[in-house]
Amino acid sequence: MNNNIIHIVLADDDEDDRLFFTDAFDELKINTKVNTYNDGVELMDYLNTEDAGLPQVLFLDLNMPRKSGMECLSEIKRDNKFKDIAIAIYSTSASEEDIENTFVQGANIYIKKPSDFKTLKKVLSQVVTINWQYHTNGLNKDNFLLRL
Amino acid sequence: MDLRKLYNSDWFLKSVFAVCLFVILVIAGMTYRHIQTLSHSTDQVVHTYKVNVELEQIISYLKDAETGQRGYFITGDSLYLDPYLINREKINNTFASLKELTKNNQEQQENLKILNQTIEERLLNLSQAYSAFLKRDINTPEFKNLFLRGKTTMDDIRAQVSSMIAIEDKRLKGRRDAYKDDLRFTPIFLFSFVLLTLILLLIAYAKIQDDVSKLKSANAKLEIFKESTNQSEIISNHGNWVWNIEDNFFEYSDNMYRMLGEEPQSFDSTIENFMTYVHPDDVVKLQEQVDQMMVDENLPFINYRIIRKNGDIRYFKARGQKVSGDDYRKRVIGTIVDVTDEIQNLVVLEERNFELERNNEELSAFNHVASHDLQEPLRKIQTFLSRLEEKEKDNLSDAGKKYMQRIVTAAARMRLLIDDLLQYSRTNKSDQAFENVDLNEIFENAKLHLSEEIKDKKALITSEDLPNGLVIPFQMQQLFTNLLGNALKYSKEDVTPHIKVAYSKIKSTDDSRLDPKKSDYYHKIEFKDNGIGFEQEYADKIFELFNRLHNRDAYSGTGIGLSICKKIVENHKGIIYATGIPNQGSTFTILLPHNKK
Repeated sequence: MNNNIIHIVLADDDEDDRLFFTDAFDELKINTKVNTYNDGVELMDYLNTEDAGLPQVLFLDLNMPRKSGMECLSEIKRDNKFKDIAIAIYSTSASEEDIENTFVQGANIYIKKPSDFKTLKKVLSQVVTINWQYHTNGLNKDNFLLRL
Repeated sequence: MDLRKLYNSDWFLKSVFAVCLFVILVIAGMTYRHIQTLSHSTDQVVHTYKVNVELEQIISYLKDAETGQRGYFITGDSLYLDPYLINREKINNTFASLKELTKNNQEQQENLKILNQTIEERLLNLSQAYSAFLKRDINTPEFKNLFLRGKTTMDDIRAQVSSMIAIEDKRLKGRRDAYKDDLRFTPIFLFSFVLLTLILLLIAYAKIQDDVSKLKSANAKLEIFKESTNQSEIISNHGNWVWNIEDNFFEYSDNMYRMLGEEPQSFDSTIENFMTYVHPDDVVKLQEQVDQMMVDENLPFINYRIIRKNGDIRYFKARGQKVSGDDYRKRVIGTIVDVTDEIQNLVVLEERNFELERNNEELSAFNHVASHDLQEPLRKIQTFLSRLEEKEKDNLSDAGKKYMQRIVTAAARMRLLIDDLLQYSRTNKSDQAFENVDLNEIFENAKLHLSEEIKDKKALITSEDLPNGLVIPFQMQQLFTNLLGNALKYSKEDVTPHIKVAYSKIKSTDDSRLDPKKSDYYHKIEFKDNGIGFEQEYADKIFELFNRLHNRDAYSGTGIGLSICKKIVENHKGIIYATGIPNQGSTFTILLPHNKK
């Protein structure tokens, strides 16, 4: 199943978080290709290039300079060519307001950044192996926030 | 009833006076007529006597003439002949006056004509006798016959005069009778009319007296009212003005002067004088309104400022309305209220509001810092720690490992504090929507949330059937979770925790702490455990923020959980209290209004 590489993209302005993210996937025994972008503008530039390989799962930090995760989310959801990308919100806060807004905007799952590397690995492996078809069909506000 | 109504009506006095006036006029008319009749009948009497005298006079003259002639015949002395010669003329004069006197009486005129003929006849007879005497043939039978005829003619005259006098007398009598009839009834009429007038006047007097006393008492009341108005004006800081539209002059109440900082009635109550007190910035606005009032005869609410002579600025609110009184004069009555204190309070209130808003903003900014900015570095510290622990643990000395463990514990505690604080500040939000939900469901969710702890402690949880309630669902779940969590945490180590949840509906009068005004009935939910309990003296303290009864080493916790519970219950306008017995357990009771009021 070598050619069954899962393409993952992360947009996060925090260098440490990008490091944790890539480290976690390095240690996970999943066949993935991980790209990271420093903010929303970089992310959208990439997604909008002609022959960009679109990721299966996009991890989106909310609080970013230049273009926030929220703006990226609504842009992506407006464009039909991105309809197959599963969007996981990846944020420090888990305020009711953010959860509500991103759910309404059409994100697939909401992850509160864990404060423990083991947990992080567990969360990420869980998210990338989700059957998105199945998850999205049964999506509601209660299972939108990923609980561990 | 109707009489009383009539008596009290405005028209009563007017009607009485009109009737009196009429009656007096009638009396005057009757008196006048009566006097007229009286004087007329006097004239009649005089007239009758005059006629009678004249008639007697004629006979007298004729007799004188006759006697004179006879004297002459006997003596032949012409001295006796004078009356015969003169009286002819006198008879004619008397006759003329008789004719004049009886000119209105057809019958007497006829009689007078007959009398005249007879008299002419007698006079002719006399003159024939005189001629015969002059011819000296007196001893002839013709002469004797002439004498006899003179006697019969004289008798006819007497008879005629008598009948004429009789006619006059009869007429006089008829008039007297009619006059007597008149006289008999007139006094009765007059008397009764005067009596009626007097009665009416008496009633009118009584009415006037009555009205005057009513007016007096009304005046007294008005006086009292005026005084109370004066006092209330002073107390409530308002004044009155009246604009008499037709005469275009103003009246100001005493307190209006005081409001301007002046002695009552110390200046002429003109609009120009008042304007001198108005704040320069408001003069134009007020003048416009006043000008408009002169047109509309009405003054809508208006606010303006005045400056007292001592420099104090006061805020006034005014309004006026047209009123038509009983006297049909149009007036605009206005009120001025000094609202300075209100406005100053409002300014203070606004300042406080502003301050409060700013504080709120600061608080929410702090919330954001706590929720996001503080969490982020902490999370990284913890993540790096977990990386260290995993990768580099073997490279550390024993002391190093111990220090690292301490750092991990401290970081975990910090996370707990931040999370709890956030929770507490989120509970502040009172604009959450209330929903009518099944509390059993919420309780189940809370249990689910704590399933791990419940399983660890092998706790036994029993609950009675809970009702539906109008609550903020997530807060209520938080409340149940905290209370359950609390009971689990402070359970005794060697005893299986048993938590009983009981429900009952109570009347607000059953518990003195409850406010019957909020709700007649309350939901009473009790969480009873068999844990370590607490001394009753700490029952209130445990709900205070950061207040803990136990050392951190013994029981983890931030001292925020029960404070959150209290806040949630207060958000629902309820009460929470606790009772405890050391080493036996504690009971937390929630009372929530039934919301059926």
